[in-house]
Amino acid sequence: MIKVENLYKSFKLSKKQQKEYNTTDREAVPVNKISFNCEPGKIFSLLGPNGAGKTTTLRMISTIIKPTSGKIEVCGHDVATQSKEVRKSIGFLTGSTGLYERLTADEVLKYYAELNDVPTAEFEARKKHYYDLLDMHDFAGKRIGQLSTGMKQKVSITRTMIHDPAVVVFDEPTSGLDVITAENIIKLIRDCKTQGKTVIFSSHIMSEVDLLCDDLAIINKGKLLYNDSMDNFRANMQADSLTGEFIRIVNENKSLNA
Amino acid sequence: MKKIILIAKKEFLDMFRDKRTIMRMIMIPLLVFPLIIYLITTVQESQSEKEAGKELEIGYVLNNQSAAMIERMDAAENFKFVEYEDTFALSADVKSHTINLGIWFADDFDHAYASGEQATYGVHYRQANEEEYDRFENLLDEQEEYLVQERLALNELPSDYVEPLNLVATNKSTLREIIGKYAGGFLPYIFMAFCFMGCMLPAIDLFAGEKERGTIETLLVTPVNRVHILIGKMIVVTAFGLLSATIALVGLVGSVYLMGDGGPLTTAIAEIVSPQLVITLYLLLIPVAIFFAGIMIPVSVYARSFKEAQSILTPLNMAVIVPAMLGFLPGLELNYTTACIPIVNVVMSAKAIIAGNAEVGPLIITFASLILLSAVAVFVSFKQFGKESNVLR
Repeated sequence: MIKVENLYKSFKLSKKQQKEYNTTDREAVPVNKISFNCEPGKIFSLLGPNGAGKTTTLRMISTIIKPTSGKIEVCGHDVATQSKEVRKSIGFLTGSTGLYERLTADEVLKYYAELNDVPTAEFEARKKHYYDLLDMHDFAGKRIGQLSTGMKQKVSITRTMIHDPAVVVFDEPTSGLDVITAENIIKLIRDCKTQGKTVIFSSHIMSEVDLLCDDLAIINKGKLLYNDSMDNFRANMQADSLTGEFIRIVNENKSLNA
Repeated sequence: MKKIILIAKKEFLDMFRDKRTIMRMIMIPLLVFPLIIYLITTVQESQSEKEAGKELEIGYVLNNQSAAMIERMDAAENFKFVEYEDTFALSADVKSHTINLGIWFADDFDHAYASGEQATYGVHYRQANEEEYDRFENLLDEQEEYLVQERLALNELPSDYVEPLNLVATNKSTLREIIGKYAGGFLPYIFMAFCFMGCMLPAIDLFAGEKERGTIETLLVTPVNRVHILIGKMIVVTAFGLLSATIALVGLVGSVYLMGDGGPLTTAIAEIVSPQLVITLYLLLIPVAIFFAGIMIPVSVYARSFKEAQSILTPLNMAVIVPAMLGFLPGLELNYTTACIPIVNVVMSAKAIIAGNAEVGPLIITFASLILLSAVAVFVSFKQFGKESNVLR
């Protein structure tokens, strides 16, 4: 379970950054008082264009960065005060996640299992499960640097799930991947749902969201524009396609703010 | 603690699998001194042999004086004397490299010598070919000694008549003290330079490299305290600095030891590189390595990429190398002032320890200041590593 209440994040802009972003504002607000809930056994999608604040939100949920104000609870633990407990229950995967190129797949997985205090027997059993599921046995002893993108992605997936997290955070997990490799991620997300895990994933691709998610939030420029179930989104849409409806909501909000 | 060891273990494994690490931190430090020493001694020996075997052609202008001195010198091996009519031609031929050197005699040379006065002669030489001049000068010194003895015999005076004093100088410095004074600064300099270089590659790879490869986020999401992550990585950076410096010293001491070939130099080195020296040196150098790691890590944490970190850290090398070179200045010693200056204090302390004349007071100040400095460096690293803007830059 993830509960996000009035989440707000701001950071000061240096003169160099002001120039870079072409703004005179001294502060940037990537996330502006958003609230939503993600429930176990459901897939929650955070949809938004580039720069909407999706990654910042997911990083705050994962305790990588701290919120300026607002509250996040993960499995009943406050991210601000119980960050270690939160991290124990989180699996985190992004499209740009890297692996240690000079280690073998086995070594990478063992390292993360140990960092997450996974008992050896549990680790071995879980590793075998994913090696069988994703057909990884052939390259288990090979160094990551020698693997193809698809193989690396399989290692990343197993690395994310090695401690059996109750909450899985995916930040644009299929970004930059070919269809076959992306399919492994889609399978994993569905598998997580079946296992009753809480899944939150960010994307800017409507078709991916349509395929997977139960609940949906649309954000743009740090603000929450829409938060409801996917069924209601489909039922109430005014445009003739899901992508069209997403664009309509974003643009409507733009004109309201203008 | 378990997590710190786990992180350090993984980073060691990762670093040791990097070919750059093996090359820059093990192979180069190990082989650089044996190679340099081998090259220098081989080239020097072959050059000296070549020079000694080379025949020097020396022009002379007698100016109607006796040729006795030239005849005596002509008997020497590898010298050929050619007569010239005037000094202009002699000078021009030396300048144009036609002959190696020229000698001329004043037109009253014989008379002056015979009447007990100073007889004048001159030499044309090229400073750029100093070794030729040195060889000829030895020959001229022999002639002067011959003439002095001849004059003393003529006047029935004893051969040591012109040497009224007989100095009996006894050196009370041990070879260890001499090495400490002249080469003592070199050892800590080498250690510091290699320690710095040894820290640099892992410091960049374990922070900026991790950011560049996109592995830092995953690591930060694990239930490991950030301080433990930092300490685990810092241990590796420090250890590689010490390892690199140790390997360089082993290479250096080993080559000098072999060069000494069982003579007094070998005995002096064996005496210098005692377990006490090694322990004291490491007590000083461990905080230095931590300090190096502590100044490199914040830079590496701040940098976006491996390249950016490298471009900032490389010039920083000078800040370490230049103060470390102060150890070469013979007048500068370990005292209460130099003990307070970072880097300089390590070099001075090591120099004093090697020479065997280190005082306890300045040594304690050196050690305390290094501990303080490394603590500050660790704190700065922690602050920088904790900054969101740096980690996710």
